[in-house]
Amino acid sequence: MINLKKLTPIPAKRREEMPNSKLGITFKEWKASKPNKHKWRNIRWGVLLFFNFLFWASFAFDIGVLEGSLSGSRFLGIYLMDPFNALQEIFIGSRTGYFTMLTMNFFIGFFIILMFYFLLGGRSFCSWLCPYHFLAENAEKLHNYFVKKRKIKEHTYNIGIKYIFWVGFLLLAVLTKNLVFENINPVGIISRAIIYGPGLILLWIVVLLLFEIVYSKRFWCRYVCPIGVTYSFIGKLSPTTIKFDLSKCGHCRDCQDVCLVPHELWFVKRGEATKEIHFAGADCTRCGLCVDVCYGDALSYSIRGFDKIT
Amino acid sequence: MKKSDSEIDRRQFLKNGAFAVAAIGAVGVGVNYLKKLNEENALTLLRPPGAIHEDEFIYACIKCGLCVQICPIEAVKLAGISDGLSYGTPYIDPLAQACDFSCDAMQCVETCPTAALDFIPFKKAGEDALTEYQKANPNPGPDYNPFIVQSQSMKATTKMGIAVIDHKTCLARNGKGFKGSPREDGFKGVYRSPNPKREERKASPVNDHIFDRELCDLCVTECPIGETAIIMEEKIRGNGESIWRPMVLDGCTGCGVCVMVCPSTPNSIIIEKLEMV
Repeated sequence: MINLKKLTPIPAKRREEMPNSKLGITFKEWKASKPNKHKWRNIRWGVLLFFNFLFWASFAFDIGVLEGSLSGSRFLGIYLMDPFNALQEIFIGSRTGYFTMLTMNFFIGFFIILMFYFLLGGRSFCSWLCPYHFLAENAEKLHNYFVKKRKIKEHTYNIGIKYIFWVGFLLLAVLTKNLVFENINPVGIISRAIIYGPGLILLWIVVLLLFEIVYSKRFWCRYVCPIGVTYSFIGKLSPTTIKFDLSKCGHCRDCQDVCLVPHELWFVKRGEATKEIHFAGADCTRCGLCVDVCYGDALSYSIRGFDKIT
Repeated sequence: MKKSDSEIDRRQFLKNGAFAVAAIGAVGVGVNYLKKLNEENALTLLRPPGAIHEDEFIYACIKCGLCVQICPIEAVKLAGISDGLSYGTPYIDPLAQACDFSCDAMQCVETCPTAALDFIPFKKAGEDALTEYQKANPNPGPDYNPFIVQSQSMKATTKMGIAVIDHKTCLARNGKGFKGSPREDGFKGVYRSPNPKREERKASPVNDHIFDRELCDLCVTECPIGETAIIMEEKIRGNGESIWRPMVLDGCTGCGVCVMVCPSTPNSIIIEKLEMV
């Protein structure tokens, strides 16, 4: 992103080039003419709830389709590994010599997850599967409501600190020889609570959500969660992403308002875009909220390079 | 002087970054503190079969719960937050539901993706037993079932802990017999009787078994391992009086079936982990 910004931006569009001017209506009329859609959000919530339900049902009814939890599971007999857990395990194992004990299933599961999320967009795990994301996404709406009513102030931090947390948690794991992060990991905690029944540790989730509602928007997902960071490394190169077409954009920036990681949509600001076509970067969770809200269809799901082949 | 955007960005990163480093440090100190507290606590948790040493187990286990899901009698459970750093790791409470080897093939061990429950010794034991059996019986009869041969030796390889009998409350030691069902009403634990007919290999509730013994020896007769693990031993006292008592041998796997079926109140048997003995 930093490198891209060094490119000179394309000069801002003139008034008659804006999509509404081509239709001969005002910008407000143009926006009002487009219906509110929730297509991708509904699909995404459906997928998220379905898979978490499948986790629960597999154990509760012993159907064995998706066994385990989000920290490690088996889908129709194929092992799947949480990548950050796997990384910690590999790092600790290299120090203690445990590495050689790890099973082949472990490495297969780790590799399949890496390949799968490489193809499907890296952090798409967050918005399409993570149960904490589902809670936090709705908590964010509450937070936005309070900010709008001026009940609370917004607190933001530098988004780069998540890399410090990522390195820090890995170091902690190696130094203490313990999967430190898994003890406070809301993804695993909620997943286990869904599957094996709730416990006192859910208080931690309540604390986190309350903090996100009253103090800092999406604190955990934006600034801390190393699982998301691990997925974002894969997502950086992923072909599946959000495509931005400058020629269709009216610069209303409603997409940035709904976006869960607005810094990834920096190019929608008038006069910022450096290319005609931009792709969302590593932190984008491919949630599709911007695709739903965009009035001119300037934002869409796309597979990078696919249009060149066909 | 107006600061540029990147300068503000850099300052914010340093400021927030310092906070992040401090937070990581705080978590580290907390974990170290909990680890010390945990050292004794973790030893009270009886791990599933094949568990590696507790020091390694605590990081090898990723808390996915696959072992919980595969267990046919729901003996394996996940520890709660009261167990500190062991939160989310599997354990067996033999008093509520012991491991009776109902799955026959160490499925919790085989399913573990990180080898926190290590299958290699079991696999080796099974293969060794098979070659030995084939050497001894070059022409096995129609009853020959290699699976049972393997499964027997895999069971014997298990070393979850060892049974320790409290002789003060033991019924046999005090010369008492036992009649009726072993556990209190409403007890839900199940186990597979060690001498079943071929068709009755499924686990059945403990309280469905009605015993009538002149001298209580349930821990010995119901042991899934048999006479290499626990026997009734006669002891002659100084005054010439002979008493019988259950005696735990080296073959004990610590599965805890004896704990579950022990009819005395309070319970006379506990399983101690090997790290503790």
